[in-house]
Amino acid sequence: MERLLLQYEVEQWLYREAEYLDHLDFQSWLALMAQDVVYQMPICMNVADTRSAQDYSRETFIFNDDRNTLQMRVDRLNTDFAWAESPPSRTRRLVTNVRLVEVEPEITVLCNVLIYRSRGADIEADLISGERKDVLRREGDSLKLVRRWFLIDQTTINTRNFAIFV
Amino acid sequence: MHDADAINLATLPPRQLKEFLTNTVRPDDGFIPAYIFSHPVIHQLEMEKIFMTQWLFLAHESELPKVGDFVTRDLGGHSVIISRGQDNQVRIFLNMCRHRGMRLCRDDRGNEGAFHCPYHGFTYSNLGLLTGVPFQRDIYGDGFDKQNFGLIQAKVEIWAGLIFGTWSANPPSVKEFLGPMAWYLDLVVNRAEMEVTGPPQRWVVNASWKLGADNFVHDSYHTMYTHASIAKLGMVPAADYSKQGYQIDCGQGHGLNFGTPTPDFIFPQNLMDEYRSRLTSEQFSALSTMKNMIGTVFPNLSFLISATTFKGSRISNTTLRTWIPKGPGQVEVLAWVLTERNATPEWKEASLQSSMFTFSPSGIFEQDDMENFIDITANSRGALPLRDNIAFAYLAGLGRQPVEQFPWPGTAYDSKFLEHNARSFYRAWLKAVTSGGE
Repeated sequence: MERLLLQYEVEQWLYREAEYLDHLDFQSWLALMAQDVVYQMPICMNVADTRSAQDYSRETFIFNDDRNTLQMRVDRLNTDFAWAESPPSRTRRLVTNVRLVEVEPEITVLCNVLIYRSRGADIEADLISGERKDVLRREGDSLKLVRRWFLIDQTTINTRNFAIFV
Repeated sequence: MHDADAINLATLPPRQLKEFLTNTVRPDDGFIPAYIFSHPVIHQLEMEKIFMTQWLFLAHESELPKVGDFVTRDLGGHSVIISRGQDNQVRIFLNMCRHRGMRLCRDDRGNEGAFHCPYHGFTYSNLGLLTGVPFQRDIYGDGFDKQNFGLIQAKVEIWAGLIFGTWSANPPSVKEFLGPMAWYLDLVVNRAEMEVTGPPQRWVVNASWKLGADNFVHDSYHTMYTHASIAKLGMVPAADYSKQGYQIDCGQGHGLNFGTPTPDFIFPQNLMDEYRSRLTSEQFSALSTMKNMIGTVFPNLSFLISATTFKGSRISNTTLRTWIPKGPGQVEVLAWVLTERNATPEWKEASLQSSMFTFSPSGIFEQDDMENFIDITANSRGALPLRDNIAFAYLAGLGRQPVEQFPWPGTAYDSKFLEHNARSFYRAWLKAVTSGGE
C-alpha cells in the first residue's frame, strides 16, 4: 500500500513537472530542482558489441548541467534575445511507464518520455523519445530532483536545438 | 509588360549554368545571391566539384588511439570507415563490400581486425584486403582473384592530428592546401598535445552548410545582436566584446577572426613550457594575446577557441566542427571538443562543460545561430530569389586596405566586424563550382 501511494506521488510529480515545462512556467520548474541537482543527457552511438543495452557516450553530453547552469538557461529564456525560443516551441511531454527502482534512501524512478515539439508554422513537428532515470529526494513536504539522466533514442539529433528541457 | 520568368537551372546546359553563376555570384562587388543556399542544382554541383575534390576533415587522431580502432564518417556523401590497421597506418575505406555493394559496417566506432559483410560473409582485413570469401573454390573455382577486390580507398593525410580525406586522385599536400592557415590552425590543434574529449555530437538541421562555414569564416558582427543574451548573463563583459582584433584572409577560401588583446592568458597556465616548445616564438606571442579565435578551412571545417566566464571563472574551450551537406538546404553538424592532454582533469572538465553549455545542440550560443541559418535557408527557396535575382549584402570593408607589415601570415584587416573573408570564401566557392568541364 505504501508502495502504491509512493508510485502515485512520484507519477503526480512527473506529470506536474511536465506541465510546468509545457506551460513555460520555468520558475516553478526550477523550484522542483534540488540545489545539488545533476542534469545530464549523453549522446547515443551505434556500437554493435553492446547487445543488451543502448550505447551512450560517457564523455559527450548534450546537457551536463547543475542548478546554476539550469538557472542561467532559464534567465536566458527570459531575456529579449533568446531567439531559439522566440516565439516558444509548442511542446507536449507524454510521460509513461513509470517504474520505481529504489525507494530508499532516495527514490530512483525510470520512465519513458515522448516530447512533441512544434516550432512556428512548421507542419513537421519534432519527436524526441527517450528514457529518463531520475533520482528524487524528499525535502520537507515535497520531492526534489537530485539527478536526471535522459537517454535519447537517436544517435543523430533531428531537432534543431535543445533550447527546451528534457 | 510581363514579369520575367524565373530561370530554370535544371535545364541550363553546363556552359550557361557556369555563366549564370559567374554573373550572379559577385563576391568582388559584395553580392551573394540567395538561390545558392538551397537550390538542388547547386547542391549537386557542390557535391561533384567541391566535396568530391577537396581535402575534408574526417576525424581526430586521438579517436583512433589503438591498432584496429575505427570510426565511420561521411566523405563527399559516401559512408567511409577510417581505420587504424594492424600496421598502425590510418586508411579510409569506402564502407561498401566489393561483391554486391552492401554496407560493411554499421557502427559509429569500434575496434576490429576485420570487417565482415552481413550479406554473403565476405571478409576484409583492417588493411582493406579481401581475405575471405565463403566457399570460394566451390563457387568461383579459379576465376576469382581476391587481390582485385580490396576495399575502395580514399586518399588520407594526417596533419597535426587532423585526419583529412579526399576522393581527388591528385590532391595537393594538406600543408599546401592549408597555406597560411596552417600557422593559425597550429594554435588550435597543435599548441600542445591535444585530444578529443569524446565522440562528436551530431545533429541535422534544415540549413545550408555554407551558412555555418560563412559565419565562422568572418562573422563576429552577429555576436552583438544574435548573442546579446550572453552579455546579459555576464558571460562576456559587453555585447560588442567580439569587435576588437583582426580579420585574416588565408587564401583559397580559408579565413579567421583573431580576437585580441586579452585581459588574461586563456589556456592552462601550467602548460606554458609545452606551448613554448611546440610553437614558434611568433606563434607563442599570438597565443598569449589571443582573446578568442574563430575560422573556417574551406570548404566545411570550422574551428573556435572561445573564452567565457563560466561558474565564476574564465575558461576557454576549443571546438572543431564540420558542416556536412545532406541535401539541398540540409546540413549535418559534427562537433568535437578538444583539450590539452596534459591539462588537469579539473581544467578539462570545466572546459568541456563550458563548451557544451555554449556550443552544442543545447549550447546557448549555438541554438540562436541555428535559427539564423534555418530561416535564411528557408527564405532562399522558391522562384522569387531566382526571378528577381535577390542577393545578400556582403559589403562591409569593401575597398579597405589590409594592415601594413602585419607580423603574422595571411592578409589582415583591422577589426573583426568585416565581411572580407566571406567574399573570399564565396570567391573560392565560385571558382570551385565553375571549374572543369570545358
